[in-house]
Amino acid sequence: MTKYITKRILMSVLTLFAIIFVLFVLIRIMPGDPFPVERMSAEMILQKREELGLNKPILVQFADYFSMLMSGSFGNGTSLYNGAPIKPILTACLINSFKIGVLSIMLGTIVGLTIGIVAALNRGKFLDGFCTVVSILGVCIPSYVFMIFLQYFFSYKIPFFPYFFDPSKFLFSAIMPAMSLSLFATSTIARFTRNEMIEVLNSDYVKLAESKGLYGFELIRKHVFRNALIPIVTVIAPLVVDLLTGAMVIEKIYGINGVGKLMVDAIAGQGVDYNYVLALGIVFSALYIGAMLVLDILYGIIDPRIRLATKEG
Amino acid sequence: MENYTPQSEDFEFITDRDITVDKNFASQGYWKGVAIHFFRNRFAVVGLILVAAIIIFAVFAPIVSSYGYQEIISVTDSAGKEITAKSLYPQIAGSAQNLFSDRTFIFGTDDMGRDLWTRTWQGARVSLIIAFVAIFIDMLIGMSYGLISGFFGGMVDNILQRFIEIAGSIPTLVIISILAIFMDKGIGLVIASLLITEWIPMSKIARAECLKIKEREYVLASRTLGAGSFHIIFKQILPNTIGPIITQVMFSIPVAIFTEAFLSFVGVGIVLPQCSIGSLIEAGFNNVTILPYQILPPICVLAILMLGFNLIGDGFREALAPKLEDM
Amino acid sequence: MKKFFSGQWKVVSGKGSGVSGKWKIFFLALFTFHLSLFMTGCGGSDSAGDGKLSVMLGSNVVSLDSAQATDSASFEVIADCIDGLMQLDSEGKVIPALAESYDVSEDGKTYTFKLRDAKWANGDDVTAEDFVFAWRRHCQKAEEYSYIMGNTVACVKNADAVIKGDDPKNLGVSAPDNKTFVVELDAPVPFFLSLMCFPTFYPINEKFYNTVDSGSYGTSPETFLSNGAFALTSYIPGTANIQLKKNDSYWNAAQVSIDGFQYQVVSSSDNALTSFKNGTLNVVSINGNQVEHVKKDAELSKNLNSFPSGYLYYISFNQDAKNHHAGALANVNLRLAISNAIDRESLVDNFVMSGAKATYTAVPVEFAPNAKTGKFFAENQKQFADYVGFNVDKAQGFLKAAKSELGKESFELNLIYSNDGDSAAKVVQAVKSQVEENLPGVIVNLQPMPKAEYLSNITSNNYDIALVDWAPDYNDPMTFLTLWTTEGCEIAEHWSNADYDKIITDCSTGDLAADYDARWDAMYNAEKILLENAVIAPLYTNANTVLISPNVTGIDFHSVCIDRVYKNVKLQ
Repeated sequence: MTKYITKRILMSVLTLFAIIFVLFVLIRIMPGDPFPVERMSAEMILQKREELGLNKPILVQFADYFSMLMSGSFGNGTSLYNGAPIKPILTACLINSFKIGVLSIMLGTIVGLTIGIVAALNRGKFLDGFCTVVSILGVCIPSYVFMIFLQYFFSYKIPFFPYFFDPSKFLFSAIMPAMSLSLFATSTIARFTRNEMIEVLNSDYVKLAESKGLYGFELIRKHVFRNALIPIVTVIAPLVVDLLTGAMVIEKIYGINGVGKLMVDAIAGQGVDYNYVLALGIVFSALYIGAMLVLDILYGIIDPRIRLATKEG
Repeated sequence: MENYTPQSEDFEFITDRDITVDKNFASQGYWKGVAIHFFRNRFAVVGLILVAAIIIFAVFAPIVSSYGYQEIISVTDSAGKEITAKSLYPQIAGSAQNLFSDRTFIFGTDDMGRDLWTRTWQGARVSLIIAFVAIFIDMLIGMSYGLISGFFGGMVDNILQRFIEIAGSIPTLVIISILAIFMDKGIGLVIASLLITEWIPMSKIARAECLKIKEREYVLASRTLGAGSFHIIFKQILPNTIGPIITQVMFSIPVAIFTEAFLSFVGVGIVLPQCSIGSLIEAGFNNVTILPYQILPPICVLAILMLGFNLIGDGFREALAPKLEDM
Repeated sequence: MKKFFSGQWKVVSGKGSGVSGKWKIFFLALFTFHLSLFMTGCGGSDSAGDGKLSVMLGSNVVSLDSAQATDSASFEVIADCIDGLMQLDSEGKVIPALAESYDVSEDGKTYTFKLRDAKWANGDDVTAEDFVFAWRRHCQKAEEYSYIMGNTVACVKNADAVIKGDDPKNLGVSAPDNKTFVVELDAPVPFFLSLMCFPTFYPINEKFYNTVDSGSYGTSPETFLSNGAFALTSYIPGTANIQLKKNDSYWNAAQVSIDGFQYQVVSSSDNALTSFKNGTLNVVSINGNQVEHVKKDAELSKNLNSFPSGYLYYISFNQDAKNHHAGALANVNLRLAISNAIDRESLVDNFVMSGAKATYTAVPVEFAPNAKTGKFFAENQKQFADYVGFNVDKAQGFLKAAKSELGKESFELNLIYSNDGDSAAKVVQAVKSQVEENLPGVIVNLQPMPKAEYLSNITSNNYDIALVDWAPDYNDPMTFLTLWTTEGCEIAEHWSNADYDKIITDCSTGDLAADYDARWDAMYNAEKILLENAVIAPLYTNANTVLISPNVTGIDFHSVCIDRVYKNVKLQ
């Protein structure tokens, strides 16, 4: 197991390094200067380029940037928020997004699993149909549209939740965005769970267990759930990143200071800020790879065959 | 007897003898079987009908409509004055509530005085075109990439797969952001971001199928007969991977429509006064509480398309591997 | 029952004290208007929040560093927290703030300010050195608004040289002692004192500034020092929610009656309206459809207030031959054709809707009143009807002339605009539709872009047609007319006219500067040259439409400098 985990971690770190390199090169070779040049004279532009180290070979620039990353800094912005250091702003935004993200993943997983299991156990009955409809709705409606309706009905028509995000009442005001963000995850997980459960319920070993007299909750827990869980885990990782996409609009509508909003500001706000795009790109990729890694390890724990396979290999 | 050479007399044609042929399934080809399974699935048929209906409207409604989708319509009000027909609730000619007895605006008009019926279907048309074009190109790229990677294996596969691993680990949002920095807003940006992100799952499926198929006897036979690699890939393997790929296409199209809607909603997609589902939702969002009827048509069309393509995809997957529903 | 009277217009021609020259009336004629809200009767306040003032901000704060702020949201928040030498009172008069008194030399070129005893929030005294430091820094940093120090506006001695890279010590500011701040000017500036209300001229505590990490000044409550009515309690760059509390060490703390308030950034007018309806926000700005909706609602419309904002929306034609399609826009007839093909009344009534006024002059309506007659500069909108108006036949005549002169039958032009608000998108779509319908052969392609990209395009001469909105920086027609000189401001139409330039120079630093009536007439002449050449096509003057809860009184709305001031706010 240790060997498997070490190998996975090593691979993830290498992939992340490669991504940082690719993103860095992509952003540096883009046309134009990463700072506003309209009011600058030619000498000033040259001087600024010198200052930012843009005249060095790109590999040297990358080495500089990477060593800065290693020292825990993302450098300064180029045009956004008057060139302040990126790290404190990014950290503050990341914490907000992360909390809401975790909340919505939890919500999505719990609700999705419940719906899926209930549907599978009542296959073909009314409850199954109902659960299917609920899970299909989630795939059909964008999370931000759902957010608009939630905001309209539950903070305007029935003013129960705050109309805008309120950091002082974090959990309370995070419920609506987390709900709308979890919509897609809920329905994907529910659909997947239902199908996997049905497949496992039809399998020979469950039938054998049943014939040995195992039934009800014991049967589900011991034989069905664990086996059905394996494929389900695979769908959760991509959902983590879908959250970020949805968060972009939801954070804007609901006034949350999150990374999604930061990204919108960095590409479409007061100025295109190359360093923010780079920093956010690295953070998003790291989150994604991290989520993949965690789920891969979980996968290994749930399914002993995987770690056995790597041990032999 | 040691050096006996077979003579032609030793062989005889078998045509005269009886051969038992299975008459039941003889005439049923692979695709016909898939079709039968597909149409036996009620959900899939519903999905097909929904999508077909939207496509028909998207193709014909803007042509048939008496208004252009960009046209700002003037109407004559009760005082006989020419006014812009903006923000009108749905109007049916001849009905009692109609403000202008001779005009029909099935979905009403938007806040610029344009007919929402025409705009909705024009938007659906644009969204569908974007989705089809992008996903078709993605299919070509992804399939070639996956087949080459799977077929050659070894070093080639290793390099190609490492590349995919890295490319696949960059979240879509980051790629779109980088594109948005240096590309002009508009259809080009939407298609480009779809092209860059959506081919990866296709290539994974193509590779997996290829790995399975290339071990089959008929591929071996073909190779023994001297067929080149590309002949084998495109003539022998490709036709047999098409099923799973089409399933993936059916699931990718809604993703593409979704992505387009998202990009237009955040303002880097379709340029006004052109419209797409996403830009219509965005326009409706600006007035959602006071003129709610404006946001409903594009959302409904989006939801129906999503539903339809997902049902078709599900139905197709089950028809290709009829294990669950047919037991 | 609640009774509610909306604010009224007050044109203030103040009395100057201590300023010599004929300008002394003029510079105080900053018009603003005072929101006078009287509420009588009882009223269970259903639309008030929980006793706290919550105000909508239409866009993100760009920067709290006064050298880098460029937008009204930033200026407003800076002015909440920092006091300058002068301030606007509730009626729009310029009154002393940190300056206790001031002296102007005979030639109007030297201002000496005596500072009052005021403290920064960390206990330091506000000294003249703080001003010297801030002004030098602003010129040295040469950011977007540094031009206001230079010879087109404030004329601070050597400012232009410092902006171009000269030693900042040469700037014409000095602090003979802790409480005396002296400014030397290159030319007398009639509205100099009113400029002192503008955040670019506010002080920064040098000692505090140096303790802050480089580049992080004004990025958090800890890195921003207040000396004004309020202090930050919660802020990070780009935040959607800004919290302010009363600053107890403010020199005039007794005047401030609220304990604090918060800003909420809301970008959609619809969200703004709903959040006002359910009581989340007390003060919101709405536009377009939401205004129409509120007007139809008897209860809500009582809270509706409209203030002219002084924003002029116009279409700028780039005449640079190398940029647009085959030099077509260098042809005056084509420009006149477009200008005359736009139905501004329909634009305002149907698509802008928020009380905006169609404008046929280069200076917005209800702006810059004549100090003697009290009439607004652009009172007569028919003045240039020969060149600017809506007349399809005339427009097609111009187009015909343009076609024969250029030998082309069709013109394809790109119109760029900033896609920050939805009203701009509606305006350009309407313009496109009208121009294409009335002028066969002219095709307008719309190109929306984020604000930064848009600004960089219009300032770097990279467009065909642009929708521009320009807010006055000070209360004089010159704030607009200097836009179109050869030296020009930032937006380059690439148009140059010696006569025009001469009039503008004469009016600001030359012979006419001292003769009020002649200057006024000369400015009309300049405007005529501008419009008969159709350098721009003015569209409309925007208005600020605001919903205010009945329990909030005393917000001062201004059309120049700072949009809203909260020092006198009272909550009931």
